[in-house]
Amino acid sequence: MADKIVMVVSEGSFDKALMPLIIGTTAASMGMEVHVFYTFFGLKLLKKGVRPKLKGLMRPFTGMIQSKMKKLKVPGFDEMMQQSKELGVNFYACSTSMALLGVKESDLADGVKVLGASAFVDIAAGSKASFFIG
Amino acid sequence: MHGNDNTVGAISVEKDMTLDARGLMCPMPIVHLAKKVKEMSSGQVLELLADDIGSKDDIPAWTRRTGHQLLGMEDEGKVFKFYIKIK
Repeated sequence: MADKIVMVVSEGSFDKALMPLIIGTTAASMGMEVHVFYTFFGLKLLKKGVRPKLKGLMRPFTGMIQSKMKKLKVPGFDEMMQQSKELGVNFYACSTSMALLGVKESDLADGVKVLGASAFVDIAAGSKASFFIG
Repeated sequence: MHGNDNTVGAISVEKDMTLDARGLMCPMPIVHLAKKVKEMSSGQVLELLADDIGSKDDIPAWTRRTGHQLLGMEDEGKVFKFYIKIK
């Protein structure tokens, strides 16, 4: 069985959006299983058509960093999400956070699975490495 | 595609395919590498060109993890060349 890694994402800002996708595509490319659980404000990253922004006072500079990334050929959120899905990265939406934030299953992007904490802990228990992104 | 000789240290490497990942930043060289390797068969040799400074350690980590064999690496200053034998 392939080694696996798990991540928990609890914030939905621009950098927190990209980090799990960078680590996730890398680990999947290294032949590992990847499971990412989105909870609290991280949950909005799994919504259809989301456009993550930098946090707080940095927010107006989101466009600036995006054009810098484009110039350096660093893939953005949509492309990284697409790559992650192609590589088989598993995305989970926390069921309680969905109720708290009023997110319906139909609001979620394709391929996202709704999961409770105990089902995720069960997945996480056998992992080789875990990351908290929040 | 056979017959392209490259010398890595003291050994001569015959490559079957080349993946040009120059201009791509981490983690994209690894992502493209994983995809490319799926198209290749056991025993074939892939030449990978990369200029992301991270690739110097990333590619050896990738081969250790996946079990493909890193035959050698050439550091040409701005460009790294890796020769990987498919398991």
